[in-house]
Amino acid sequence: MDDLTQVGFKLAGILVAFTVVMTMVAYTVLAERRVLGFIQGRLGPNRVGPGGFLQPLADLLKFIFKEDIVPDKSTRFVYFLAPVIATTAALMTIVVYPFGPEIHLPIINKTIPLVVTRFDVALLYVLGVTSVGVYGIALAGWSSNNKYSLMGGLRSSAQMISYELALGLGLIGVILQSGTLDLYSIVEQQAGHLGVTGWNLIWAQPLGFLIYLIAAIAETNRVPFDLPEAETELVAGFHTEYSAMKFALFFLAEYANMFTVSMLATTLFLGGWNGPFVHQLPWLGVFYFLGKVILFLFLYIWLRGTLPRFRFDQLMNFGWKFLVPLAIINIFLTATLQWSGALDYVSKFLKTSVGWGG
Amino acid sequence: MGALLETKFTTETRRTQRHKTVLALLFILFAGMAIGCAISMVAQRNPLYGAISLIGVFISLACLYVTLAAPFIAAVQVIVYAGAIMVLVVFVIMLLNVEEEEWPTRMRSLVPIAVLLAAVLFAEAAFIIYFVQASPATPTRNISDVGLTSSIGAGLFTTYLLPFEITSILLLMAVVGAMTLARTGGLLPPRAVVVPGHQVLAKDVLDPRAVNDSEPIHARSTAEVEKILGIEGAPHVTDEDL
Amino acid sequence: MTPQLSWYLALSAVLFTIGVVGVLSKRNVISMFMCIELMLNAVNLTFVAFSSFFRDVSGQLFVFIVMTVAAAEAAVGLGIIIAIFRNRESLDVDDASTLRL
Repeated sequence: MDDLTQVGFKLAGILVAFTVVMTMVAYTVLAERRVLGFIQGRLGPNRVGPGGFLQPLADLLKFIFKEDIVPDKSTRFVYFLAPVIATTAALMTIVVYPFGPEIHLPIINKTIPLVVTRFDVALLYVLGVTSVGVYGIALAGWSSNNKYSLMGGLRSSAQMISYELALGLGLIGVILQSGTLDLYSIVEQQAGHLGVTGWNLIWAQPLGFLIYLIAAIAETNRVPFDLPEAETELVAGFHTEYSAMKFALFFLAEYANMFTVSMLATTLFLGGWNGPFVHQLPWLGVFYFLGKVILFLFLYIWLRGTLPRFRFDQLMNFGWKFLVPLAIINIFLTATLQWSGALDYVSKFLKTSVGWGG
Repeated sequence: MGALLETKFTTETRRTQRHKTVLALLFILFAGMAIGCAISMVAQRNPLYGAISLIGVFISLACLYVTLAAPFIAAVQVIVYAGAIMVLVVFVIMLLNVEEEEWPTRMRSLVPIAVLLAAVLFAEAAFIIYFVQASPATPTRNISDVGLTSSIGAGLFTTYLLPFEITSILLLMAVVGAMTLARTGGLLPPRAVVVPGHQVLAKDVLDPRAVNDSEPIHARSTAEVEKILGIEGAPHVTDEDL
Repeated sequence: MTPQLSWYLALSAVLFTIGVVGVLSKRNVISMFMCIELMLNAVNLTFVAFSSFFRDVSGQLFVFIVMTVAAAEAAVGLGIIIAIFRNRESLDVDDASTLRL
């Protein structure tokens, strides 16, 4: 394919992925309010548009027209930079997620896989970009010149870097099994019989999935790990002094992070776009993928409505003294089972295409 | 990626010409960013701005590593340097509330000499690079897989296994060292006074009425302690009572 | 023209020089530490450039080990800096010129 056509396709892909993600993030906010209302026995917002589905638009208009208050003694440059870093880091990861298998575009008569780009260290890229996202929070807390913000920012960053370790270690099990860091290949290898039995969650990494899920919830600062930004504890944590559009960017960054983490869980553990009859009708892959992501988002919201939150020292204890050793045990178990050939035996029944180790 | 360019065209087609221009432009862009952020880091007085500039240097170097066909090292650079080491540095700057430096007022006249000497240092390096320019041998294969994760893993666990194991011990040493440095309390409480050969007791430990009086009581028996404290005749509590 | 090896080496020399200037001219010990990290990164760039142009993976392996050592050094070094700060209440290197407090 000609170079310029390739570049054009990539740009179009970025645009489409960005639009899809932003729309889903906006409606996740609405869904959270409705589902939380349902759990708590009340209705969520249902006035704006039928069933409240124009509420994100109303929120957007509100954020645009709100007055932008900048605290007097804050460090200007860093204060403006922090939400930019947080949002950029949250959105940069969507270029590596495979949304669907190879589809045939009718008009242009080309067959392209539904992923913006494939390269062979995609998983490390995702980990790296989420590591850089910590700066948005730390710098926001510091530059607001407010002791609650600073406390919230530092606590939140400490929590994020602690659970990043558990997150990375939990993913090593999947990498050992698949033998590649390329997310598209990992999804391709999870195509079992009927597109369902090959999922990594079922036969390969149940413990890894649990570790990843807990670490991901802590990484995105959601309940039960949301002490640094809980309203009852630290006013609003690191984004206390932010108003209007900058607060909207932080809000967006948090939900985009949630979305990103759900997409990674779907790709690695739930088989990505795999499902029944996906090879006959490739467009079904997109629906399967988005359906699984919505399942994870619903899980997040459900946890928010159900669980109390951890105290900060309990949180750090849990991360360092329980989750990291558990992840290391998972690596040992996976490596031993794979080296002894036990996993090959299981995979013969469950998978159609085998990876490097399975 | 200049090393990966296909060499099977004897005459340069427009496409390879465009490739080369794009690669050169990318190099100039990332190199310019790296040098700009580095100069900004040295010129900044506020250490937090210096830290942010250094993060910019690391990210532009990671982009350069990608153009050099080393994607694994680029990702590890972002994860380790920009994502872990600099987070630690930023934490320390925020916790210790490090303030801005003032311009050095004592030896300001020496700054032009410093810049001149820096230019001399750079001229020396450029001299060496220019005159010792040996061109690398023509690569045998066009597409190399040197930078891929599999070849790094293969090298790390076969040829370079000993440095790998030693590095892991080094990391263990660093963890133990950091935890030891972070420990604030010792094994004794801060008020204890140790007098060798005698009972190690301070007055405010024994007598709740002597607040903050950490004078040590030298005694060899309980009766002596009672006499010093002035509580003779107090009922003794034995193990059966407890 | 494609980027030559000498371009990368020149960039590395420039970054290293800037790091040296920073270490010598800064009084704040954390800023000096950051300039030392810049020097380490300049050397990493040299290694990766050579590894790419000579098609040998050893350069990148050495970079891996240098990064690990830099991480260990950062952890322990910052711990020492915090311990010094607790005792002397100042991060100025000139103030830490005697062995007594």
